[in-house]
Amino acid sequence: MKDLKRKKKASFEGGGLVIFREVQEAMKAEKVLKGADYKVKLVAPPPQLRKGCDLALEVNLVEQLGLERLFKEKDIEYVDITPLKLETSELLNIVKVTDFGDWVMVKAGNMKITFDKNDGMIVNTSGGGCPDIPHLHAEMIGKKLTEAPRPRDIGFTLCALMLDRALEEGIDIWQGGRQS
Amino acid sequence: MMLLAGTVPLKDLPLIAGEVRAEQGFLVADGHRIPCTQGTGAMISAALAVTDYLKLDRPRIVIAGDVGQGEGSRSIYEYLIQRMPELSAKVLTLHYCLPDMALTKRLCEVVVSCEEKPVMIADAASMYAAKAAGLAVEFDIFAPDATEMAFLADSDATHPAYIARHLFDTDITETPKLVTAAYQHQNAAKLLLVKGAIDYVVRDGEILTTITEPNIPELEAIGGTGDTITGLASAFVYAGLELHEASIIAAKANRMAGKFAQATPATKVRQIINHFPAVFEEHLCQWSGVCYIEGGN
Repeated sequence: MKDLKRKKKASFEGGGLVIFREVQEAMKAEKVLKGADYKVKLVAPPPQLRKGCDLALEVNLVEQLGLERLFKEKDIEYVDITPLKLETSELLNIVKVTDFGDWVMVKAGNMKITFDKNDGMIVNTSGGGCPDIPHLHAEMIGKKLTEAPRPRDIGFTLCALMLDRALEEGIDIWQGGRQS
Repeated sequence: MMLLAGTVPLKDLPLIAGEVRAEQGFLVADGHRIPCTQGTGAMISAALAVTDYLKLDRPRIVIAGDVGQGEGSRSIYEYLIQRMPELSAKVLTLHYCLPDMALTKRLCEVVVSCEEKPVMIADAASMYAAKAAGLAVEFDIFAPDATEMAFLADSDATHPAYIARHLFDTDITETPKLVTAAYQHQNAAKLLLVKGAIDYVVRDGEILTTITEPNIPELEAIGGTGDTITGLASAFVYAGLELHEASIIAAKANRMAGKFAQATPATKVRQIINHFPAVFEEHLCQWSGVCYIEGGN
């Protein structure tokens, strides 16, 4: 008998999980994401992550921002995007602010944005390591905080999501400073 | 050969593997001009500054355009997986990319099987992937900043955005605690070069030294100044220095270039890079004993 060897599927470990209420929604999401060239895998979520369904999608967690945007565009409902490791499932939501005199640096997670106090101009972004970060750096520098493109809109990764948080905080600080 | 790999923010740039040179504020490779800005561009530029100064062979690069969707990142991983054994690299530095644990595992398997294993250096998201995949111990140098150090210390985090809050709140002076935790969980490379207000050089869990001078706090705000340290360290390792020596000199040179540039938070990394030759001229001989290298290696 001929030994038919199956072509081994490329392995995939994304580190993130999308939880859905409906199995059908998970399947629809898989189709949409694969169509957009994302690497995904349908999996059963671990019991502690079951929030009303027994089908989830393993995704590359770092692509969370792009996934969220695509779900919104395609009208896909999901419960949560979460790391596979439970103890760290909350996105870091604190920011740190450094005053450099004429400039303010706002840090959210691993991302920092620095702007000129006088005119709200973004003079630098730093931190991170995902491929959209240098692109965002080029797109945002030299623009006012309120006029710069939002990382949430043009970025794809968790680093971009954190940069968006830093930008949001920067806008609050700058607008607050102008009002006072 | 020193091999530097990572993505650059040019959407349609195909995979380029080959030579690179600096020209009028840009990197030039295969006829393409690549900006020396935050990310892989800054890292390569800093390495080039060292090799050109010491008259060593220039680095070879493996780069591809990627603005976050991952296609360029995957093409770099696949190229390295296919070609590492024949490239005979002495140093391999992995930098900006979309982290992919499975591809990182495959790459590590290939590298380990090379006739002569290169010195493996990872920074940026390549470091995230190596840690998340449980492969940190396969690497010789990681170059985290303070937040990324907390990420390495958090045994469960797969990305710095998910580190535990109490670790994020840790002050830079408490880095030794994070270092201990990272080594305990086998989430650290053999040597850590922790970049921050205090730079720490750590080998196998032992803090060898700290670097605090010159103190240029503005460098933290300037995108790419962590990337330049990684490029410098890679090139000094390639020049033949021990891992810890290369790391110490990289940290010192970066700070000194910031001083020479009279850096403000609005300074661009290109302006810092421009000062490396002057820094080497004035300090490298004293710092390293490497005063001039005849020919290449």
